[in-house]
Amino acid sequence: MRKVLKNQAVQTFAASILCILAGLLIGYIVLLFINPQGAGESILNIIKNFFTWSRPQSQLKQFGNTLAKTMPLIMCSLSILFAYKVGLFNIGTAGQYVAGACASLYAALAWNWGWLPCMLLAMIAASALGAITGILKAYCNVNEVISGIMLNWISLYTANTILSNVKETASPYTLYLNKENPASMLPTLGLEKLFNGNTNVTLAVPVAIIAAILVWVILSKTRFGYELKATGNNKNAAKYAGMAQNRNIILTLMISGALAGLGASLLYQTGYMRWECTQSSVPAMGFNGIAAAFLGGLHPIGAVFSSFFIQHITDGGQYVNTNFYSSQISDVISSVIIYLCGFVLFIKLTMNRVITRREDKKGAKQ
Amino acid sequence: MLLLIQYTLIFASVLMLVALGGCISEHSGIINLGLEGIMVVGALGGALVMRTLGTTSAVVMVLAAMIAAGLAGMLYSCLLGVAAIHFKADQTLVGTAMNLLATAAATVLVKAMNTAANPDNHSSEIEYVAARKMFIVNINGFEFNWFMIVAIIAVVAVYFILYKNKFGLRLMACGEHPQAADSVGINVYKMRWSGVLISGLLGGLGGLCYILAGVSLWKFENGVAGFGFLALAVMIFGQWKPTRIAVAALLFGLFRALSNTYTGFPFLLSLNLPGNVYNMMPYIVCLIVLAFTSKASHAPKAEGIPYDKGSR
Amino acid sequence: MNKERQSEYAIEMLHITKRFPGIIANDDITLQLRHGEIHALLGENGAGKSTLMSVLFGLYQAEEGTIKKDGKEVQINDPNDANALGIGMVHQHFKLVECFTVLDNIILGDEPVGKAGILKKAEARKKILALSEKYGLQVDPDAVISDITVGMQQRTEILKMLYRDNEILIFDEPTAVLTPQEIEELMQIMRNLAAEGKSILFISHKLAEIMAVADRCTVLRKGKYIGTVETKNTTMEELSAMMVGRNVNFHVDKEPAHPGDVVLDVQHMTVASKVHNNNAVKDVSFQVRRGEIVCIAGIDGNGQTELVYGLTGLEPLVSGKILMDGKDITHASIRKRSVAGMSHIPEDRHKHGLVLDYSLEYNMILQTYFESRFTDRIGFLRRKNIREYSDKLIEQYDVRSGQGSVTPARSMSGGNQQKAIIAREIDKQPEMLVAVQPTRGLDVGAIEYIHKQLVAQRDAGKAVLLISLELDEVMDVPDRILVMYEGEIVGELDPKKTTQEELGLYMAGAKRDEVKKA
Repeated sequence: MRKVLKNQAVQTFAASILCILAGLLIGYIVLLFINPQGAGESILNIIKNFFTWSRPQSQLKQFGNTLAKTMPLIMCSLSILFAYKVGLFNIGTAGQYVAGACASLYAALAWNWGWLPCMLLAMIAASALGAITGILKAYCNVNEVISGIMLNWISLYTANTILSNVKETASPYTLYLNKENPASMLPTLGLEKLFNGNTNVTLAVPVAIIAAILVWVILSKTRFGYELKATGNNKNAAKYAGMAQNRNIILTLMISGALAGLGASLLYQTGYMRWECTQSSVPAMGFNGIAAAFLGGLHPIGAVFSSFFIQHITDGGQYVNTNFYSSQISDVISSVIIYLCGFVLFIKLTMNRVITRREDKKGAKQ
Repeated sequence: MLLLIQYTLIFASVLMLVALGGCISEHSGIINLGLEGIMVVGALGGALVMRTLGTTSAVVMVLAAMIAAGLAGMLYSCLLGVAAIHFKADQTLVGTAMNLLATAAATVLVKAMNTAANPDNHSSEIEYVAARKMFIVNINGFEFNWFMIVAIIAVVAVYFILYKNKFGLRLMACGEHPQAADSVGINVYKMRWSGVLISGLLGGLGGLCYILAGVSLWKFENGVAGFGFLALAVMIFGQWKPTRIAVAALLFGLFRALSNTYTGFPFLLSLNLPGNVYNMMPYIVCLIVLAFTSKASHAPKAEGIPYDKGSR
Repeated sequence: MNKERQSEYAIEMLHITKRFPGIIANDDITLQLRHGEIHALLGENGAGKSTLMSVLFGLYQAEEGTIKKDGKEVQINDPNDANALGIGMVHQHFKLVECFTVLDNIILGDEPVGKAGILKKAEARKKILALSEKYGLQVDPDAVISDITVGMQQRTEILKMLYRDNEILIFDEPTAVLTPQEIEELMQIMRNLAAEGKSILFISHKLAEIMAVADRCTVLRKGKYIGTVETKNTTMEELSAMMVGRNVNFHVDKEPAHPGDVVLDVQHMTVASKVHNNNAVKDVSFQVRRGEIVCIAGIDGNGQTELVYGLTGLEPLVSGKILMDGKDITHASIRKRSVAGMSHIPEDRHKHGLVLDYSLEYNMILQTYFESRFTDRIGFLRRKNIREYSDKLIEQYDVRSGQGSVTPARSMSGGNQQKAIIAREIDKQPEMLVAVQPTRGLDVGAIEYIHKQLVAQRDAGKAVLLISLELDEVMDVPDRILVMYEGEIVGELDPKKTTQEELGLYMAGAKRDEVKKA
């Protein structure tokens, strides 16, 4: 038992569960505070999400929608954690995601490209944005968080301007992909049959999961991963060992950007969402990626599950009792979870201390 | 032209207040990336007071709203203090969480209040037309805002505190070499708490100032559009020194003001640029400025490093 | 000064015991400091000196034992209590804020203030100047710490204690960073202070200094109290035996050197400084041959660090040329230099030498991970080879760690971390070994081991460049000494012919040869 508790993975898992429970509890308290009447039901609905529907067919269909939005979230959290392994806090993931969305939608609607070229362009555009942050960090020592935030806003306004050329005249939304260019939509591979005909479930699912596995292999099994983690843990030692630091920083942020860009393409090319050309805040997907990455213990496979959970409660937010509450309560819960993730190190230390103390006592008795 | 000056001054006031907050916090050794969130909470505190008071004398209104904003900011900054000072949490992560939480929580609260007042109202807006007028003195079309004075007072006060006062000497020692401060009996945790709380106060005031800058109605879903981070850029550009921060804030304020007023300049209109270009301007200028000023950093040496009394 | 004292002793620490998980750092230790005496506290690294001082300062609480001031029992719970009792300390690593002035540092924590906390600096300046006059401690109150010499910084630390009217002054390894001449000055200052009635506790492991300045000496070994002796009734040999429990061999056994071809040829090297606008290394030229150990000696901060950075590629040169085995490597990357046969045991093992969060085996391949034996053609790590290689080095170099190859580097002791670095750098089969303060902070056993390894490398026909601050090491290990002062090489000495005094004159810049500019 003690051996199990000392295991790093088990500790991370336990700490994450603790963060989730505390986050939900705080969410519940907020609901109680606003109006005690519907609080219990609403928090349960957030947790249930698609299970709130009574018919299994509807449940499956809604499950498909949550899944469709989980895939970009997985990509964003991979983007965050990949950069974090090198010691970079890539808050610019949110903007790189915007760049990806802009590139894939514009290529699909203005140039009538097929789905694969659109996807690749999204990755290239996002990775170029990541490169800017990387170059500023490597050569000008600009804090990546501040430059990332600035680029988030710049890319938001740029995307609004560019995508205005392919929007509906009557609304601020971009044109429908399935009407204008069905070839740009991701193939469903027959997956919709599993989800009661929900065509939002597409190729995106296997792509995101393969990406997570790939990131895990790169980080833990390869020379490149060895270099990146060495740089993240001790950049002076990495330099001493002759690793090309600036190149690694830029390359990392480019890969991180490409992951976020791919995430955007995995959502917008399903046709599930359209871009609103007058939106005045950066889409939350990139920021939720931070929650998912840390909740998943900064492990690529962990990120898959934590992303699903975060998306699950985010979608669950729409099932709260709107007579009293708003769906943003889910954002409150996930940001509380991010905040609590800051305490994970402390939680683990405490666990270890308690375990060692028990061992000492036992040793003393024997 | 007058309008440009007016907007420049008011946005510069916001940036000055928030950047000074960041500066105090960093001098104590804590990187405050949660300023954006603190601004939102401060703005919320101020807006709620403005809404509740409704009609009252201008002096009471201005003071009450400012006190509420400052207190709200201070209270919210405790989240950073607890995590960064006592639990050695990653300051970047905590700051980011605070930013996200502030917008989400403010939205939820305001919507709940609006809905409670009127079941059909699901917006996250608060209106404060009458209250805003009390902050403003109209001088021949130039809207003078009391916050401009507050910002100047803040610059002078921070200068005095940092360079002429015992408290500032101790504060900076904690940001530069906390072990040295500890060895002469200074309580590093206490000083860092002071730094964080003061940054909460100034950030909260800055948040209220921001929503009063141009409009009489604020939609809390929108947050403060990266102003907390612009303020950090102002602080870096100002090399952590209050007087330089004031100058830097004026420069950034000017670029922000352009997006509100460019339509008033025939020359700028004739360029025929999309409005979004002006919206982007402050962020682009910020990136360029940072690229040239970040290389030789004058940041406090121990900032961002959790202090542990045990390990000397 | 008190006319009537209740006790002979200014401070007494009686039967102090302090335990940490797994070890007893202080085991029933007694230390009694008389009024107006200089009392040395002697012991190796890890003997328990700093724990004992931390207890005295209230940083740790002892489980057993009592502390008495002037015969009365006192409780010391934090440094403030210690300050209130008039106890002050000059720490080994100075506790000075680098961007503050001397004056600001002295008054910090005890500031003279008027209304609203306004600092009264003029008042403080007067008091400081009076004190520096009285005790012969020259400082410029308005100088910024980062601009002044180490000796001046130490005087600032002493003034900090005097400014607070401390009666009990603790000096923790105060001579480590000073030139022999500055050490002599410091000792005179200590004598002055004692003559004025201050009681001084002098922590050191340098026997000669203790014999020269202390009245009495208390010796600790492995956390235990060994004894207290009057220095005039004892000898260095006796003290050393008390300290280590056996007679140590002060000299490194080695055969005469047989230098061969030139391996490293440095010509007119100039390296910029990171802290100021001048160059840290100015027009330096020297050679290192196969089969010899050349030592760069000097006081800390005279350009040695930058010299090594320039040599190994961590910093670019401003001008000059570096040849290795006749090939120009001036502009070669760190990696290229390493592959060409340069090994580097870095000055700071935590900053450069190790990735502390990596396992020991991953640290063992830090310089060679890209070689085909550790990485396959696609870019995957060969885990089995890495484990075997690491196990081999651990065995061969006797690196001790809890779980062998998978131990996190962070959890290893300093000595074993250093051994791991040395194993890694030597096993690379370098042509040129650059060892920077390889024995810093290690105990006698580890030091002896590392010196043997350096000599073994020399005997195997490698070129060795040793950078050292320790006088004993400089005199014993190398075959040639180059002295560095303010970024220049000011003298070349033969360790067999020179004396510590002569070396000291060079190190302090008091003497210089016109070294041939190749």
